[in-house]
Amino acid sequence: MTDTPSDDEIVQLARQAGLVLPAEYVPELIEAYGHVRRMIGRISTARPHGDEPAHVFVPSVFLPGKE
Amino acid sequence: MTELAFLGIAEASRLIAARRLSPVELTEACLRRIAAFDSQLDSFVTLTAERARAEAKAAEAAIMASGPASRLHGIPYCLKDIFDTAGIRTTAMSKLLADNVPTRDARCQEKLAAAGGVLLGKNATWEFAHGGPSWDVLFPPARNPWDRSCSPAGSSSGSAAAVAAGFAPATLGSDTGGSIRGPAAACGIAGLKPTYGLVSRRGVIPNCFSHDHAGPLAWTTEDVAILLQIIAGHDPEDPGSADVTIPDYSAALTGDLKGLVIGVPEKWLADEAPPAAATMAAFEAALDVCRGLGASVRPVTLPPLQQFDDSKRLIAVAELFTIHGADLRKRPELFGASLRYRIIAGGLVRAEDYIQAMRLRTDLARSLQAVLSTVDLLMLPTSEPAGKLEPVPPSSLFTRASFTTPFNVGGNPALSVCSGFDARGLPFSLQIVGKLFDEATVLRAGDAYEKAMPWRGKRPALQSGLAH
Repeated sequence: MTDTPSDDEIVQLARQAGLVLPAEYVPELIEAYGHVRRMIGRISTARPHGDEPAHVFVPSVFLPGKE
Repeated sequence: MTELAFLGIAEASRLIAARRLSPVELTEACLRRIAAFDSQLDSFVTLTAERARAEAKAAEAAIMASGPASRLHGIPYCLKDIFDTAGIRTTAMSKLLADNVPTRDARCQEKLAAAGGVLLGKNATWEFAHGGPSWDVLFPPARNPWDRSCSPAGSSSGSAAAVAAGFAPATLGSDTGGSIRGPAAACGIAGLKPTYGLVSRRGVIPNCFSHDHAGPLAWTTEDVAILLQIIAGHDPEDPGSADVTIPDYSAALTGDLKGLVIGVPEKWLADEAPPAAATMAAFEAALDVCRGLGASVRPVTLPPLQQFDDSKRLIAVAELFTIHGADLRKRPELFGASLRYRIIAGGLVRAEDYIQAMRLRTDLARSLQAVLSTVDLLMLPTSEPAGKLEPVPPSSLFTRASFTTPFNVGGNPALSVCSGFDARGLPFSLQIVGKLFDEATVLRAGDAYEKAMPWRGKRPALQSGLAH
């Protein structure tokens, strides 16, 4: 992650995500996003290109008659 | 312990099969107990008493005519209020779903009904099985029957409280980071998070798709095995459902642990998140019991707890926002403050970070399965005994180390059983973790431990006439 964003930048990021919050909820957004950024910082690491995420797409699951 | 409502599934089903106990009588005993005591515990948010009476009468007639169709036939049960029930309000404790009446049952409810169970009602949870405890959602939070001033933990709070209080011998909950095992631990009962995919999630309101599990809670592991037998199995309508052979779980309950090797993640317990001394003493005592039952115990090394927590929480906050984003944008005031805090930043998680968290999950799951290939089971405390029921900082979800979350990340079966009581009389807990789809060995261990110890003979003492 890049440098810690300012409170205004966090509000702007939220707007870009379509989240235009009443002012009373902005402090909790800023605090919660701080926790999220710290988690992202801890998990960020260089990985080989071929490292697969824990998604497994099994196309047969979505055959007609399966739902 | 003579109250009819304290009968477990195994014993009640034996008596029903022998025609020495009527499902109507058993159901009325549960309803009487709920009427007398649930105002103290708030474990039910919807009671379906008339439906239960009708189902009990029908079960009784069917059993008299041709014997029980299953070991649940005529036995009362309840459901966490995130399982869809056709024609019965299903709220997830949220003001957003105050009037939500599903038109179709969850797959698990279909199976319990087909087995002849008697639905008593729906249990309190945390909002959308994630944010809590909360006092600003649709219903008040459930309380712990061992001490009403204490928390039953979450999110299957009411489910665990109801079983411990003798309101119902069986219930289902859901577990995304510990929501079956935590309440089972706090309330001193048995609760199993099955392997991911073993039990259908179709019709269960999602918390975090990639980590959600549905599973049983009951007073004993023996009863959990009976419930799992009924609800396990492939469901083509759940994309995460596994098509595996379902063994006879009750047949696996041999009463001993001969030849089993138990791994203990000592670094977690000694360095990363050391439990309180009394909790560790109870855990060491439980390991001694397991040794006495024929198991050997050795230390194992797992990846750091923090990595499991970070991976799961980042994935969860993004998936939660995906589920709730539309409502959060339009009517944020209808969310409880606790849940809103826990999902509000999910919209700012980049796809890159979500996928990196999923890559970390791959590493962690591989490491966990590798360690479990060297032992039969892992054991560790589920959690500390229950704390006071009071508002907690919603940030705790992001900061508190969890002994349950790693097994949601790995998808492994994990059972919590009661392992004694602390100085306040609140339960200690033992968590038993197995290889993927090896619920049989997990249940064998839980059952053998329970039967070697006196803890199942003690119930919470509730007084009628009290209200909080």
